[in-house]
Amino acid sequence: VANRLDRWADPPLLVLASLADEPKHGYAILRDVRETMGVRLTAGTLYAVIARLEAVGLIEPLASNDRRRPYQITAAGRAALAEQSARMRRVASLAQARLGERYGWAGA
Amino acid sequence: VNGPVPAGPGPLARLALMLYPPAWRQRYGDEVRALLEEAGSGPVTVASLAVRAVPAWVNPPRHLHDRGARMRASVATVLVAWSALTGAGAVFVQLTQLQGFRVPGHPLVQWCYLIFDAALAVSVLAAAVGGVPLWLQMVRLARQQRRRRELAWLWMAVAVPAGYMAVALTALTVVHDPEASGSWWFAGFAVLGFAAAGLASAGPAVALKRLAPGGPAVAIAAAAAGLAAAAVALAGLASAIAAAGLCLWATSFAGYHHAGLAWGYLLIVVAIATTATVSGGRGVRATFAIPAR
Repeated sequence: VANRLDRWADPPLLVLASLADEPKHGYAILRDVRETMGVRLTAGTLYAVIARLEAVGLIEPLASNDRRRPYQITAAGRAALAEQSARMRRVASLAQARLGERYGWAGA
Repeated sequence: VNGPVPAGPGPLARLALMLYPPAWRQRYGDEVRALLEEAGSGPVTVASLAVRAVPAWVNPPRHLHDRGARMRASVATVLVAWSALTGAGAVFVQLTQLQGFRVPGHPLVQWCYLIFDAALAVSVLAAAVGGVPLWLQMVRLARQQRRRRELAWLWMAVAVPAGYMAVALTALTVVHDPEASGSWWFAGFAVLGFAAAGLASAGPAVALKRLAPGGPAVAIAAAAAGLAAAAVALAGLASAIAAAGLCLWATSFAGYHHAGLAWGYLLIVVAIATTATVSGGRGVRATFAIPAR
C-alpha cells in the first residue's frame, strides 16, 4: 500500500502543473516533470496524456515552425489544476496537522 | 556552429509508433519522433509507446475521431466480412442442412440450424436496408461528378453476382450428367463464389473510400452494418457449434467431409466474425457518438 501512495503523481496532473507557468513542448515537459517533481514520464505516457488533455480542452497546441510543437494550459485547465491543487493541499494540511497533534511531527 | 546531427528514433521505436492509429500518427507522430531524438528511445520508452498504442485504438481521443471516416471504414469492412461469412454460410447449408444430417439425442445441432437460419435472414435484411440507400446515393454522386471508375466499382456489386449466377446456371445446363455435379464441381463453384463475393463487396467498399459520401445514408448504413455484423456473427457461431457437434456426434459427417475441413471452417468463421463484430461495433459507436466540440 505504501508504494501506491505515490499515486498523487497522476501524469495528467503533472503535465498540467508543468504547463502552469509557460508553454512547453514534449521534451521540455518531460525534463521539467523529472527535475522539479521527481517523476520520470515516458514518451508513451506523455503523449497519451497530451492527447487526452487536448481532447477535453485542458491544454491546447500552439503554432510551431518545427516538429516540437509547444502546448499551453487553457482557462479550463487552470481551473481544473487549481481545484485539484486545493483538494491536495487540504489533504496535506489535514495529514500534517493530525500527525503533529498525535505524534509531534513537525514536518519535513 | 553545426552540432552533431541528432540520431533518429531506433527501429523498435519506429515500429512501436506504427502500432498507433493513422489519425494519431498524423497528429502526434512528428512530435513523438522529435521527442525521441532528444530523449532517446531505450527499451522502456519503446515498451511504453507499444503499450499506449492499445488505448489509442480502443478509445481514441475525441478530437482525432473522424466520425464520417470511421463509419465509412466500418461499413466497408463489415461489407467484405459479411460477404465472406454469408458465402461460408451457404457452404455450411449445402454440406449440413441440405444433406439431411441428423444427430439423434443431440437437439443442440437442430437448434443451431434454426438460430443460423434466423440470424442469417436478419443480417441479409439489415444489409439490404442499410446498404441499398447508400449504394444509390453513391451511384448518384458518381454520376453527378462523372466519376466513371467509381461508377464501375459500384456496379460490380450487381454485375459480378449476376455473372456468377449466369456461369453457374450455364454450367449446370450444359453438364447434364448428375454424377458430374460431385464434390469437385461443388468445390469449383464454392471457390468461384467466394471470389465473386469478394469482388462484389470490394467494389462498393473501394467506391465508399474514394467518394467519401456523407449524410444520413452513411449513418444508417453504419448502424445497419453493426446489426448485420452482430447477426452474421451469431449465425457463424451457431454454424460453428453445429459443425463441431456434427464432427463429434455424427461420424458420417466427419467421415464424409473430413473433420479437418470442418475445423478449418470454424477457424475462418471465428476470425472473420470477430473482425466484422469489432469493426461494426466501432461504426455503431461512431454513429451515436456526440460530435467533439
